Amino acid sequence: MAMSHIERAMASITNQPVDRLSVYPIACGVNRRLLSTPTTYSEWANDPRKFAEAAIAGYKYFDWDWYFGLMDLSVMAGDIGAGVRFDEQNTPFVTDPKIKTPEDYETLRIPDVHKGRCGVILEGTKLFAERLGKDIITSGFIEGPLLALTQTAGAEKVFMDMYNHRSAVHKALETFTQFDADFTRAFGQTAAPGLCWDYLWGSYSCLGDQEYEEFEAKYARELNALTAEVGKAFCVHNCADLPHLDTQVKGFKPVIYSMAWYPLIPGSMTAKEVIMKGYSDNCLMAGNIDPQAFIRWSPEKIEKATINLLQEVKTALCARGLHSRYVVASGCEVPPSLTTKMENIKMVVDTTKKYGQVTC
Amino acid sequence: MTREQILAGLEKAVISGKKQEAVSEARAALASGIKALDAVDFGLIKGMTIVGDKYAAHELYLPQVLLAADAMYGALDVLLPHIPKEDTKKRTNVVIGVVEGDVHDIGKNLVKTMMTAGGMTVFDLGRDVPIENFVVSTKEKDATVVAMSTLMTPTMDGMKQCVDGLIESGLRMKVKIIIGGAPTSKEFADDIGADLHGINAQEAVAKLKAVL
Repeated sequence: MAMSHIERAMASITNQPVDRLSVYPIACGVNRRLLSTPTTYSEWANDPRKFAEAAIAGYKYFDWDWYFGLMDLSVMAGDIGAGVRFDEQNTPFVTDPKIKTPEDYETLRIPDVHKGRCGVILEGTKLFAERLGKDIITSGFIEGPLLALTQTAGAEKVFMDMYNHRSAVHKALETFTQFDADFTRAFGQTAAPGLCWDYLWGSYSCLGDQEYEEFEAKYARELNALTAEVGKAFCVHNCADLPHLDTQVKGFKPVIYSMAWYPLIPGSMTAKEVIMKGYSDNCLMAGNIDPQAFIRWSPEKIEKATINLLQEVKTALCARGLHSRYVVASGCEVPPSLTTKMENIKMVVDTTKKYGQVTC
Repeated sequence: MTREQILAGLEKAVISGKKQEAVSEARAALASGIKALDAVDFGLIKGMTIVGDKYAAHELYLPQVLLAADAMYGALDVLLPHIPKEDTKKRTNVVIGVVEGDVHDIGKNLVKTMMTAGGMTVFDLGRDVPIENFVVSTKEKDATVVAMSTLMTPTMDGMKQCVDGLIESGLRMKVKIIIGGAPTSKEFADDIGADLHGINAQEAVAKLKAVL
């Protein structure tokens, strides 16, 4: 018998048998194209009603099992004072870093999270979570402290200052942890059951275990605990190559972990490897359709890729003695651009519905 | 100090990411009569190559690589004005940048560093670079390599437009075009008419050296 989205999602979290695997291509900004009134990226990212209406329209059109309210990665940087360039239809990005000197790390002032684009996300999340709550599991989305700092100062500067101005970087991370804590408590007032953290820099292409522990993990643990305290299911999204899975999955213990696969990068783990190495044993792992496929591939090609992923995942889950701990997702956000093929998003969802049954 | 000690000092300063030490050693090299090009090749580049290899092996990470690059560039500022023009003309000129609409430039900067360490003269156009800037700079700098990167899928189309721009300007046959960045692939490079695709900085330099 067919399960409801919520029944399927909850069964997947707890590794119970499901009628099929769950699916959510991480489509967020692109959903604005489904609104009846033409809406630019900038309008979507600055108006909580449009942010929420697009999420609702996305669910209605694609009929996926989950939704999380990712906007983009310049939200917190912009709200704390960095200059952000908004093109009409492109993802906004920081053009004028707030931190230019070592002293600047120590003079950041935490903004009111109910204002600015943090406020848009909060209000938008509140709206879509209330409207979609009876149908699917939803989640807020929040940038981790190191990610928000690198967006505010420039990643290269922060990485070098980890050694050149270590205490100043820590001071800024303490500020961003407090900023994140305020944001988390505010998410606690929404009806979204989950809160998804972007801990992007936990990647062996960027930081070793020692640096990651010092410059993010120790701050993240406070925030992970706070997430649970405010009643949210703690989730992590990390679309970097070579993520720190032992720290972020086995150590942090999220309910859901979303990751990407980079076939050209040696050591980047396939879905099968992720499952067989035990990362799905206690966590619902999500991945790993290539996001650029939503722009560049034909529907037939993405259908085939989804079928192949499903086959790989189902075989690995069975071999590992698991029922359902994998979500068919897109690794990174589906590009929110005008050239993204909506039929490809639909194809991933429909193909999972058709071929996602797990029969060990 | 002997020539070997000074060159070893340059190498060590780069590996340990000590900019001031690298600058001091570069000055010491010149003062002791070591040719600037030798100081670059047998000191700085040797050190940066070791750093690149250790990064590829995950023995060093991004902060250490960036500090090493900073040290190398600090010493290069001292040494490059002392390299005779006829020697610099023998080097491959590269124009590099992140395509328009994207500001993620750490990967590009790593490639630039390893190209410099590989003996190439790199003209960095920065990030969010309009197509016409790639074309104009290729001509102005007499470049034989154009290198483009992007981290974002929506901006990949800018790479194709740049290739088209080089064709329209009559420069395409004079240059090798290499692309890189997380969403790119060999297949995509072929699709847009680029010559090469690099997975990482080391591979990019190795592939270029193989075809130049």
